[in-house]
Amino acid sequence: MRRPRLSLREQPLPGGQPLAFGIGLAIALFVGILLLLGAGHDPVKIYSRMFEASLGDPNAWSITLNRAIPLGLAGLAVAVAGSMGLWNIGAEGQIMAGAIAAAWVARVGGDWPGFILILMMLIGAVGGGAILAIGPAVARSKLGVNEIITTLMLNEVAIRLVQWLIHGPWKDPDSFNFPLAPMLPDQARLPTLFSRAHFGLLIAAAVIVVASVAVRYTAWGYELRIAGSSEATARYSGISLPKKILTVLVLSGAIAGLAGGIELTGTADRLTETISNGFGFAGIIVAALALMRPSGVAVVAVLFGAVQIGGQSIQTLGVSSSVSTILQAFVLFGAIGAGVLSRYAITFDSESHLTAEAKS
Amino acid sequence: MNEASLVGLLFATVSFGALLYLAALGELVAEKAGVLNLGVEGMMAVGAVTAFIAGVEFQNPWLALIIAMLSSALLASVHGFFTVGLGAEQVVSGLSLTILGLGLAAYLGKDYVGLPPGAELVPVEWGPLSEWPWVGPVLFSQAPVVYLALILGITVSLILSRTRLGLALRAAGESASSTDSAGHSVLGLRLSAVAAGGALAGASGAYLTLSITPQWAEGLTAGRGWIAVALVIFGAWRPGRVGWGALLFGGTLALKTRLQTFGVDFSPIILSMLPYILTLLILLIISIQARKRPSPAPAALGLAYRREER
Repeated sequence: MRRPRLSLREQPLPGGQPLAFGIGLAIALFVGILLLLGAGHDPVKIYSRMFEASLGDPNAWSITLNRAIPLGLAGLAVAVAGSMGLWNIGAEGQIMAGAIAAAWVARVGGDWPGFILILMMLIGAVGGGAILAIGPAVARSKLGVNEIITTLMLNEVAIRLVQWLIHGPWKDPDSFNFPLAPMLPDQARLPTLFSRAHFGLLIAAAVIVVASVAVRYTAWGYELRIAGSSEATARYSGISLPKKILTVLVLSGAIAGLAGGIELTGTADRLTETISNGFGFAGIIVAALALMRPSGVAVVAVLFGAVQIGGQSIQTLGVSSSVSTILQAFVLFGAIGAGVLSRYAITFDSESHLTAEAKS
Repeated sequence: MNEASLVGLLFATVSFGALLYLAALGELVAEKAGVLNLGVEGMMAVGAVTAFIAGVEFQNPWLALIIAMLSSALLASVHGFFTVGLGAEQVVSGLSLTILGLGLAAYLGKDYVGLPPGAELVPVEWGPLSEWPWVGPVLFSQAPVVYLALILGITVSLILSRTRLGLALRAAGESASSTDSAGHSVLGLRLSAVAAGGALAGASGAYLTLSITPQWAEGLTAGRGWIAVALVIFGAWRPGRVGWGALLFGGTLALKTRLQTFGVDFSPIILSMLPYILTLLILLIISIQARKRPSPAPAALGLAYRREER
């Protein structure tokens, strides 16, 4: 019997990850056509609308870029941890912790001048994200507790913390008993760059550049990548793993926290349950598509942001938001599969050695 | 607090416990074979929606349950194909599966939102047992899925600990290369475990729409899939302990909606954090103990196996 099996290619296919993303997107668009036809829509009309709404004009670009900010920062948070072989699944919760901290600063300093207030909010957000990451960081570095599960659990804790705050202590007394946090003071809004794009774009870009350089070109980043590729080598060359794990996971949380702060001052006008609308989970995907390279997350984040914004825009045409969710999932699985196949080839064994021996 | 409301609380504890147990048992089987599947939430949602749709279309709850289990097993096999077949990263694939499952459930169910159920799993009558004060209304008037969960829990436990299949499955999760050397197909074992896990998550979802809340709405699973993932760790990968954990966590779900009726001034939202915080504590305890004895986690959990790379 001819059995398919994967064998490692001597050289990964040229184009590697961009190609994988492209294939993922192509598969998703194809599946999308089927879904749209199945629901009785005209795919050409829907797709052109998606493109126009996400990349068609400067206004569309500004909305897409605003979405790319939390996706990119969350992706960066995951990628920084990922360069060391650590999984931060908790960006979702850390974004919320960052937003909570920023919202708290805005409550305390409601009458501060705008620049100082926003600066303090963002610093608070960094702190909030870092605090949520400290527990998993210490547990991983001191006790070896798997960070995937601890960060995952804390997501669920953080979302409930947000819910509790806006249903309880932080409920706006003027909200007619709706569970809504009060609006941010006007001066707590980030200034706009063009169209709807806000200043957070520059902050996010700067953070991504600095982190990419730090991971790629500094001694610190070099040690990080060594520790990521082989623990034994790292230990042998005198790198203190526990300390490194601790700093990297806390840093990762801080970056995700910043995303929450920027989302609050830039895009949302108040703390809501959906302040991180799955951005943390999307960040894991962004980082994975960028092969855990901090330098790659920006491009992937913009593309993924375009898919999300395009997907939202077609709801006005009566297309269920679930179509866009499914499209995203297919981009992911397509890219995962293509990513594997760029490194492995499918070969067909006419007969495996073992069975051949057994028969002789 | 009167007797009726206390009985109501205990009844809900058992039914929520069974709901969580089914999904957690599925995750346990997959993890025992070495595959972490973070797609439970998505698989539950697909199970819930397909059960509801099948119930409306065929008016037979048992057929609906089977269709839900098959659908979720099929969905789980997507994860199996990518992680076991291609050796892709389990965390990324599992999270993608959750996104896919939630999206598919919403897409399939959009014409069924708000419809009355076509079929429901009616509580089992145990004759005199059901008349027994306290015990009867709590334990012996549950939907059949609850007893199914118990039977499946015992079955899984026995298969894992007493049979050759169970041994091979656990071996695939501890050391894939030695399982391969021993002549077992790691690929086959892991794929079946993932699909079986999906079927159980599907049964859990079906229990939601066929009995607990017999209707369909987007977001019906409400994060319970994540509790199931937590439960496996909480129960240290043992079917029995996971069962007790499911009752405990089911209790927090049951209590959440009833705090106010009991006149307790405590936020139900804070209460709903409890399962996750308890799991974190247990994880810490396991890790501290692991310095003296081996960790209960399957050693090869999360690792892809490719024969030529061993």
